Amino acid sequence: MEMVALSDPGSAPAADDVLAVRGLSKTFGGTYALRGVDLTVRAGEVHGLVGHNGSGKSTLIKLLAGFHHADDGAQAWLDDEPFDLADSGDARHDRLRFVHQDLGLVLELSAVENLALHATRAHGEQRVRRADEERFTRELLARFGVELDVHRPLGEASPVERTVVAIARALRAWEGGRGLLVLDEPTAVLPDEEVDRLFQIVADVRAQGTSVLYVSHRLDEIFRICDRVTVLREGRVVATADVATLTKSRLIGSILGEEGERETSRPHLAAAPGLPLLEVRELSGRYLDGASLHIHRGEILGLAGRPGSGRDELPYALAGVLPHPVAGSFRMDGDADWRDFAHGEHPESVLLPADRGSEGVVREFSVKENLTLSVLDRLGVRGALSRGRESRFAADWLTRLEVRAETPDAPITTLSGGNQQKVLVGRCLAQEPALLMLCEPTAGVDVGTRHALYELIARQAAEGLAVLVSSTDADDLLAMCTRVLVFDHGTVVRELTGSAITEHALVHAMEEDEEEQS
Amino acid sequence: MSPARNGVVEERPPVVEQRSSPGDHAASWRRNLSFGRIGAVYVLIGMVILFSIWIPETFPTAATVRQILNNYAITALAALALIVPLSAGVFDISTPYVMSLSGVITAYCIVHGVPLPVAVTIAIAASLAIGFVNACVVVGLRIESLIATLATGSLIQALITLVTSDIPINDARLTEGFSHIAQSGIGNVTLPVFYVLIVGLAIWCLQEYTTVGRRLYATGFNKEATRLAGVRTERLRFFTLLTSATLAGFTGVVLAASLGSGTPTAGTPYLLPAFAAVFLGATQFKEGRFNAPGTVLAVLIIGTGVTGLGLANAPSWAGSMLTGVILIAALALTGVQRRTTRTGRAKA
Repeated sequence: MEMVALSDPGSAPAADDVLAVRGLSKTFGGTYALRGVDLTVRAGEVHGLVGHNGSGKSTLIKLLAGFHHADDGAQAWLDDEPFDLADSGDARHDRLRFVHQDLGLVLELSAVENLALHATRAHGEQRVRRADEERFTRELLARFGVELDVHRPLGEASPVERTVVAIARALRAWEGGRGLLVLDEPTAVLPDEEVDRLFQIVADVRAQGTSVLYVSHRLDEIFRICDRVTVLREGRVVATADVATLTKSRLIGSILGEEGERETSRPHLAAAPGLPLLEVRELSGRYLDGASLHIHRGEILGLAGRPGSGRDELPYALAGVLPHPVAGSFRMDGDADWRDFAHGEHPESVLLPADRGSEGVVREFSVKENLTLSVLDRLGVRGALSRGRESRFAADWLTRLEVRAETPDAPITTLSGGNQQKVLVGRCLAQEPALLMLCEPTAGVDVGTRHALYELIARQAAEGLAVLVSSTDADDLLAMCTRVLVFDHGTVVRELTGSAITEHALVHAMEEDEEEQS
Repeated sequence: MSPARNGVVEERPPVVEQRSSPGDHAASWRRNLSFGRIGAVYVLIGMVILFSIWIPETFPTAATVRQILNNYAITALAALALIVPLSAGVFDISTPYVMSLSGVITAYCIVHGVPLPVAVTIAIAASLAIGFVNACVVVGLRIESLIATLATGSLIQALITLVTSDIPINDARLTEGFSHIAQSGIGNVTLPVFYVLIVGLAIWCLQEYTTVGRRLYATGFNKEATRLAGVRTERLRFFTLLTSATLAGFTGVVLAASLGSGTPTAGTPYLLPAFAAVFLGATQFKEGRFNAPGTVLAVLIIGTGVTGLGLANAPSWAGSMLTGVILIAALALTGVQRRTTRTGRAKA
């Protein structure tokens, strides 16, 4: 199902094109992240860029922004003028501006100060003229119809207001007219009701004659605001098409690929019969809103859903580590008594946090010290720590996990992301939990290690461990889970089991839920 | 001895290599003696040589060694008090004020006829109470420890002034039995030097050979990751402020005994040298970790430098300047070294 490729590869850009890229490739250590990518954005259009995790979307954006250098052979034009993608010089930034996913704002500073940070002042003029800056900020924000106290720290502003400030900053000193604004997943952190406001702003930007390259994983957004869309898969452009000629299911098919369902090595696990290990009733927190679920021993239960759907909050809520209050109740092994989260109780469980860097590893610690952090009590008597026992314990686990470390005493930062994640999984398993909750278990983990982790978890489940997997990566759920709960608006909206867990089903389930409410 | 005899040995790649050949032993010794690890030892040796050449009549004598040890024992105690909270990422700025308070309380009690052991117990109990207040403010009210203990330190100083009107407590009774706590000694080395050894050894054991010590370091490096790993980080942080206040209280008693008086501002001059020593110490032995031997070594360097300069009739500002220069140089040096080794590894 190849869609019509509207640009002729290798040709120079047409007069109508704001940005044209031909034959763009990027290799990281011998692997292609991008392969011969052609991309054309026309004047005054909103151009969507879609693709799976790892399809090369972010590499493409980083190449355009000059964070990475392209491999030789790429050509690029901004309005007929060639520019060098292997050079990170900022000449291109006159007409090519970026709002990256993290926005890059300083939340402690006000809107005025954030905009002033990027001001380019005339040579010799070092002083920030507050009045000028303030007037300038007001004008810029007024362009987008946003009323915001420009002197309050941005941390107090709503997500959409911050996004607008980031867009305003990107468009600073913009003459208006032709140029390209790249928005990388701008709605990822926005509540649904604020997405409409952002779309209005995107429409305003276009009305001022500027093109937009709109990166998103939410397909309904592509259909709402984009004129054309380019689909990336495994580092190649598989299609560029007018959105009007597309249907959602064709677009999903194009993103997933012709082969459709990939072979998965999903374990054939049978949940232990009898009563569930854990039942949770009406769990509510910041994003969760009355979610109920149950899990058996020996079961790997997947949680799917967009960020903010409650899917990502649930493991933390169950582990009892959230700073804000959590309501709901639970019981273990079919106890007669339901226990209440509001009373500070939570089920016995072990959590693998989502963000390995800030919530997982202790960077200053060695591999060994990271591994044993949760089980120190078992490595000594009455608070004394037996160094010999700790070393033997660590060596044993590192062998079992097949962690490639020079020595257990090497700093954890000398390991690859995948090996670091193995160490953290080891830290979890060493606690011999009955319930293990994995958040984004394969984020930043190479393919080989990924499969090693899948197998490791499957083996543990076969021995009776109950596993909860919360992941934005459909591959994780496909490879591991025997049952998947789809979350939206804080509750479970769908349950998929066995052979019904397919990539199509997962993507559709999430997309359809968006449609229902829009 | 074939492993196959067990019949259950699985074939696995030997991913964790145990190194124990004699050549590696030499390498590990070289690493342990490298400048990056114990640079301060070399600096100390260099200073001793320098002063011995500069002032050969007065510096290289047993008397100078005793003077340095005896004079800087209290600085070392004050610095040791800071280690436990700092290793968990908690600043306790109030320790010098707790020292003053504890000294004043002890002197006041003794002057009013309270038996010595009871007076010391009261002073240390009062210090512990201050530590409890600190812990409640820092952990309970979630106020940044640096600011919180700065505030409580100020409150303690106010309390001392309120009670004493900033007049030192001097009395003949303070120069009797009480002063033995700090002024008697074993072979010309006064007791505080031995207190340093005992306290330093205790902290070393805590940090290296107990689970609490490991968790303290983890908390200081990455509190959130440590909390999510199941460690009760807030309870640990609470505990650290109790230890620093108790140690500061003890140090205050020793200080008052060495002065033979209860001086309302006795502790204040120890604030900067103590912090300087702890931070300098964290660059030694266990790179990046606050530790007792490094701290004691740092105090020795500062003490040797200041004493040597004094004997050489250097102007009085030279000592403080030396402390500052040593601290910045040590931190800059380890910073540079860390950056180069990190990037070297990352590229490898």
